[in-house]
Amino acid sequence: MNAALRLLVLLLGVLFLVMGLRWLLAPQGIAPDFGLALQSGVGLSSQIGDMAAFFLLLGICIFTALVTQRRFWYYPPMILLTLTALSRVLAWLMHDAALPMNLITPEIVVALVLWVASRHLSDRD
Amino acid sequence: MASALASNGLPAQLIDPVNQQSEKNGPPNVVLILADDLGFSDIASYGSEINTPSLSALAELGVSFTNYHTAANCAPARAMLLTGVDAHLAGVPNIPEMLAPEQQQTAHYQGVLGQNVVTVATLLEDAGYHTYMAGKWHLGTDAGLLPSERGFERTVALADSGADNWEQRPYIPIYQTAHWFADGEVYQLPDDFYSSRFLVDKTIEFIDSNAEDGRPFFAYLPFQAVHIPVQAPQKFIDPYMDVYAEGWTAIRQQRYQRAVALGVVPSGIDLVDMKTTGDWSALNGERQRYEAKRMAVYAGMVEAMDHHIGRLVRHLKAQGLFENTLFIFTSDNGAEASGPSDPDNFATQRQLSSLGYNSDYETLGLKGSYNSISPSFASAAVSPLADYKFYVGEGGMRVPMIVAGASLPRQGVLSDAFSFVTDITPTILSLTGVNAPGKRYAGRPIEPMIGKNLAPLLRGGVDRVYSEDDTVGYELAGNAALFQGDYKIVFNRRPLGDARWRLFNIKRDPGETRDLSNESPGRLQTMLSAYQRYTVDNKVLPIPPGYGHLKQLVLNAVQGRLREPLLVTLITLLILAPFYVYFRLRSR
Repeated sequence: MNAALRLLVLLLGVLFLVMGLRWLLAPQGIAPDFGLALQSGVGLSSQIGDMAAFFLLLGICIFTALVTQRRFWYYPPMILLTLTALSRVLAWLMHDAALPMNLITPEIVVALVLWVASRHLSDRD
Repeated sequence: MASALASNGLPAQLIDPVNQQSEKNGPPNVVLILADDLGFSDIASYGSEINTPSLSALAELGVSFTNYHTAANCAPARAMLLTGVDAHLAGVPNIPEMLAPEQQQTAHYQGVLGQNVVTVATLLEDAGYHTYMAGKWHLGTDAGLLPSERGFERTVALADSGADNWEQRPYIPIYQTAHWFADGEVYQLPDDFYSSRFLVDKTIEFIDSNAEDGRPFFAYLPFQAVHIPVQAPQKFIDPYMDVYAEGWTAIRQQRYQRAVALGVVPSGIDLVDMKTTGDWSALNGERQRYEAKRMAVYAGMVEAMDHHIGRLVRHLKAQGLFENTLFIFTSDNGAEASGPSDPDNFATQRQLSSLGYNSDYETLGLKGSYNSISPSFASAAVSPLADYKFYVGEGGMRVPMIVAGASLPRQGVLSDAFSFVTDITPTILSLTGVNAPGKRYAGRPIEPMIGKNLAPLLRGGVDRVYSEDDTVGYELAGNAALFQGDYKIVFNRRPLGDARWRLFNIKRDPGETRDLSNESPGRLQTMLSAYQRYTVDNKVLPIPPGYGHLKQLVLNAVQGRLREPLLVTLITLLILAPFYVYFRLRSR
């Protein structure tokens, strides 16, 4: 059970790192997946900087959590993903943005997986 | 403008008109009757088992169009009906309840009738007509958008997509109440309300209120029938209690055979087995009995509408107005199929109870009861066509259309000439001798009408008003069609469709069973190119990724009704979360 969970978390970490690298190296390929059209100038800088940092942070925290087996390393990605999903709902409610369930659902599911992992894969607080 | 008819005598068009009586009696009155979600074969003269003698009598007094097409859903059809302009340019590419946020960023995707179009009511009112409306509007609720500000002199109007037929209550959770207005003011329905009776009563009241001044009238009568909730008085339901015991497939077949016998469709055509049609024989006796009653209520609702249309006709005869009145009867779109296949399932029952409705067998269709027909019986309502409301198969777009009047030169005839909903306004203008505006009206630019005048078909001597080369495009939330001559290309999104362009000859094959796209790739490409031009000319927006019309309806409903409590809850959670984390850490 724990081995399967560890493998799942590892794959999620790899996925986030790859997404972060895609934002750095080939943003035009990944931007449409988030409903984004790439800007130019400062806008492009913010898009690439923020999105790459977001996903790289997720991946790095997950790998660190797996290696150190410290529970608190799971918290930043959990909080980040939960806040992202929450903010999407607020954007829908407050600003008439779309409600992309195809993005919100994975964010919540992954946050839950990380929460389960923090309970089962961590020896130390 | 009001004196234009009186001072100038008859407009030129009325001297040679379809209506020879006009020279003697003055411009004709016009009664435009719109049923809601009525399927192609839902009235007797188009093959139905439902008793509709008033409409049959009207059909005997004019031309029944068997190849008439409208939009595949409500508000866009009404926009085109009343303006002669494509729904996208008129501001109503879809009902507002189904528009995605991305689409609503664009001015012409608001789902309300734009100020860049002028209604037939405005044109007739400016030409001296009295203009009345009693029924469903659904083209805007806010100030400036109600029918009282779009050319209708007297109105009682339901602003929503639908409502209860027995009392003032909403039929879906997206609305907090049923929004009725009379002459632009919020209106409270009377206690003895039943929609079809009430709307005809109001129409008669409006007509009578100005009967003495001798000016002609235009009465727009958009019924709630037979939109969900499907409801009818018991006396109209009773005759149908045993009619549907054989099930939907049998009714679909019987209607097809009657339609052939009546000349409404050619013989020997194939019928599609729609994948949403259930297996009647797989239902147990109790479920069959229940399903049969669902359809019996539907039939009762159609007959009740017909009964009240008959009452209006009799009143006009009694007042001496009938001889100089033209009637147009049609439906806004094909039959509605959104009712649940299993009305007893948990989600359906929870939804009904949350609205204060029940779906009990004994009281089905009566006050407090919520009824619908399922996709299965909708397949019978559109017989012998394929698809239904919201989809661009013929079942969603081809509906009955009757133009009748005691003075029309052709009586009791069928026309299989292609016609489209945008043709109605130009036809009314022609029949009344009122000039259609061009690109400007009342000192401002407007979208010009694209519809064609059908009067030559009423007069006879021509068998079509659209040439072989004319094209008519249509789009609704990604479902798309284009008509050219006898051909039509069709694109229906999943899940009902297959997201592929198909080509049909709808004159020989109105059931859309034989896809000709491989046989005639050249024609398909030509029509696809014409469709692309249509999307550019009419500013059709691509649908957002992941869009689904029912999903969007639910999201918009949730946002509309629960926005504030959701906001308060989520922001409270956001504020409290750091405190929670802080106290958890402290407790360790």
